[in-house]
Amino acid sequence: CHTSGMPTPNGKEYAQNIPREELTHLILKLLQAWKEPLSHFNQHIEHHQELPDDSLSKAKQISNMVHELKTGVEKSMGIISNSLNGMASSEATGLSISSEANMMSDSDFIHCFRRDSNKVQSYLKILKCRIMPENSC
Amino acid sequence: GQSYPGKPKIIRCRSLEKETFSCWWKPGSDGGLPTSYTLFYSKDSEEKIYECPDYRTSGPNSCYFGKNHTNPWTTYNITVMATNEIGSNSSDPQYVDVTSIVQPDAPVNLSLEAKTSASIRYLWAKWSPPPLADISSNSHVYHYELRLKPEEKEEWETISVGVQEQYKVTRLQAGVKYVVQVRCMFDLGEWSEWSSERWVQIPNGGSPPEKPTITKCRSPEKETFTCWWKPGSAGGHPTNYTLLYSKEGEEQVYECPDYRTAGPNSCYFNKKHTSFWTIYNITVRATNEMGSNVSDPHYVDVTYIVQPDPPVNVTLELKKPINRKPYLVLTWSPPPLADVRSGWLTLEYELRLKPEEGEEWETIFVGQQTQYKMFSLNPGKKYIVQIHCKPDHHGSWSEWSSEKYIQIPTDFRVKDMVVWIVVGVLSSLVCLIMSWTMVFKGYRMIAFILPPVPGPKIKGIDTHLLETGKSEELLSALGCHGFPPTSDCEELLIEYLEVEDSEDQQLMPSHDSSHPSKNAKMIPKETDSDSGRGSCDSPSLLSEKCRESHALPSRLQTQDIRDVQENKGGKGSWETQCIASEEKIFLFNNESTKSSTWPTAQLPNNQPPVFAYHSTTDAHKITLSTTNTNTAPALVGNEHQLQYPITETVHDDMEKQREVENLHSKTDQTTVQVKQNRPNGKPPFLNPKLMDYVEVHKVRQDEKPAVLLKHKENSGKTEKYIVPGTSKEYTKVSTVMDHNILVLMPDSRIQHTSVSQEPAMEISQNLQQGQDEKNMSYCLAVPSECKRETSGSEYMDPSSFMPSFK
Repeated sequence: CHTSGMPTPNGKEYAQNIPREELTHLILKLLQAWKEPLSHFNQHIEHHQELPDDSLSKAKQISNMVHELKTGVEKSMGIISNSLNGMASSEATGLSISSEANMMSDSDFIHCFRRDSNKVQSYLKILKCRIMPENSC
Repeated sequence: GQSYPGKPKIIRCRSLEKETFSCWWKPGSDGGLPTSYTLFYSKDSEEKIYECPDYRTSGPNSCYFGKNHTNPWTTYNITVMATNEIGSNSSDPQYVDVTSIVQPDAPVNLSLEAKTSASIRYLWAKWSPPPLADISSNSHVYHYELRLKPEEKEEWETISVGVQEQYKVTRLQAGVKYVVQVRCMFDLGEWSEWSSERWVQIPNGGSPPEKPTITKCRSPEKETFTCWWKPGSAGGHPTNYTLLYSKEGEEQVYECPDYRTAGPNSCYFNKKHTSFWTIYNITVRATNEMGSNVSDPHYVDVTYIVQPDPPVNVTLELKKPINRKPYLVLTWSPPPLADVRSGWLTLEYELRLKPEEGEEWETIFVGQQTQYKMFSLNPGKKYIVQIHCKPDHHGSWSEWSSEKYIQIPTDFRVKDMVVWIVVGVLSSLVCLIMSWTMVFKGYRMIAFILPPVPGPKIKGIDTHLLETGKSEELLSALGCHGFPPTSDCEELLIEYLEVEDSEDQQLMPSHDSSHPSKNAKMIPKETDSDSGRGSCDSPSLLSEKCRESHALPSRLQTQDIRDVQENKGGKGSWETQCIASEEKIFLFNNESTKSSTWPTAQLPNNQPPVFAYHSTTDAHKITLSTTNTNTAPALVGNEHQLQYPITETVHDDMEKQREVENLHSKTDQTTVQVKQNRPNGKPPFLNPKLMDYVEVHKVRQDEKPAVLLKHKENSGKTEKYIVPGTSKEYTKVSTVMDHNILVLMPDSRIQHTSVSQEPAMEISQNLQQGQDEKNMSYCLAVPSECKRETSGSEYMDPSSFMPSFK
């Protein structure tokens, strides 16, 4: 996966020990890393006639969701200013990452995306329970 | 002492290959002196005796027959003679067939070799055939048999080998020492002796174990995980298993850190060794003395193999809020190991529910909350509930929690009770009221609530009579008593009452002629619907009478007829007949659109009702026809006749018939003047005894309107029945004058109020509808006295036919 290079906590303890901001930053980085590949992927599968329409729309939906999620996280964490800094660097890395992503096969792409989205979900949940423990935590 | 030698005995003769044979004998006692033995033989049945050719080759006390002397197809008779100085002794003869004494020597050079190939152990056995002196014997073919057994065992396993001189034994136990022997046989001869024993040790070697398989890997809380494998077949030796794994992106292979915690054939990865979002490559190796074997690799990412434990602490609470139905709250806790608080693992719950005796579970997805409110449970029933959970993302459902029983308390709400009590009280009150009403008011109440339906007064046709087909009875049933009129009928009331003068005029003439035909003509003219009804004929009268008689027949026809018939003789028959006739009349009316024949007859159709005494059947017809054509009056006549529920079957058939004919001819006419045809003066079929009503025989208009009634002997009775003459059906009789003259009430508009029977009602209606009332007083006179002064009435004057009123 193109995001394999990113150092991400591999377990609960690691994730819990990371300070909040860093975790948030990590989440955003991940989300950012997928923005390009996702849109590229969507373009790519549009030409696939074998896929049912549901898949195409689902893929688009997911891309949108990722984008919205990123925006949401940014907003909720109030990291707009940070993201400006981070953007520059992440964009740079994002470009290289994207090129890497283009090389992947479709199944690998999906596999990597599934994993990374799971990562993001888990980190977000940890964040949530850290910030607002009363809410079903 | 010395004696002659003992008898030798031939012990054995044997051939090795069927070409030569030898015989051996055993010497008897030698008698103390040197003994020599001589063998003599003969072939088959030949006489010639030969001596043994060779005493040496086969050893002492033997004789060897060489090829030259051996003939396979002959039987040898062999004897041995022992001789010493004193004497000799011969053995018993021995018959020898060479073919049957062939027994080869045992095979030789048995060699055994144990080999293992592809983990199969087998034994190679080789041998050589028994040696023979002649080289040519090599061409002989022997059959071989091999037997072997483990050294310690007793039982041999014998294997038939065939003509081979080697054999491969496969089913051998490892590590066992076997002993092997072999023997042979020549053609059909005997088996040789077993060869000498040979021993062989089977090597002990097992096989390498079979490939194990990794069955599943699970993580109960997304922090550790365990993998289980299933061993292959052991291969006879204790096998050792090792689990090896490597992580995605790493080359290094590690061994399972913990084989014990999770049980046999398992590997437990604790927190330190568990990494998420990395794929593990796991294999299991089985090793034994003979070798080892590796399972297929199993790739697993711990994130996706989470299967939690079932939820715990399942508790129930019954909540009873005010103004609402009580409900149950089910709460539970996530499994203890799952770290839900940190958000690392998020669980979703699902519960299932069924009544204790139920078959199917109802599954309810609850989501991430740890409680559930149940509203829709039946009180009094027992339920079983179970919960399980799964991670909100990839993963699998846990096992169901242990069964939890819920007993719903039966809850009788006060409100329900009150409602039922009130309902019960009210209904009991109502019942009480009803019963009291019944008791006290009894019939009247019932009558008030359910007014009885009055039956028609017309005596209908007795269907039974119809079926039987007796005309007389029929006619009588129809109410035409005495139709044709008999003498008795004379007493019957006059059929119809002439009401109108003018009309009478029209009618009267016709009356004179006692022919129904004429009468028939009269029919259409008179509008007097009422005329002549008078007595029994008049529906009002009839009704009244019938009322009085309390003989309200329930049924139209049958009863009436029967009644009528029954009452033939009695006075009471009047009543019944009245009823019957009424009913019949009404019956007719029914047929026509008119409600009752009476009214129809009396309709102000200005059609002279022609009454004739006919059998009721005829009358029926008449009424029918007339009504159809709007000529009710004609019907009246019939009605009259009907009215005379002529119970008497004593009719004059002739008369009847005549009248019938008339009727028939006139049926199409509006008014059929049914005239009672009594030319012979027979009384009309009226049975005076039967009728309540007195029919007006005729109206005399000359002096004062007089109605001639046919009344029964009790003329007095007739008073009531007279129908007010005014064109209406009935007229009340005011007085009865002498000579049996009835003076009718001037107010002819009789409302038939007498009994207010329905027919009467109808009649009254008709009266009202009808023409102006005519103050008529009718003279009711015995027909005999009141002659047929029809006074122009339309009505047929039955009296004209009736010689007399009785």
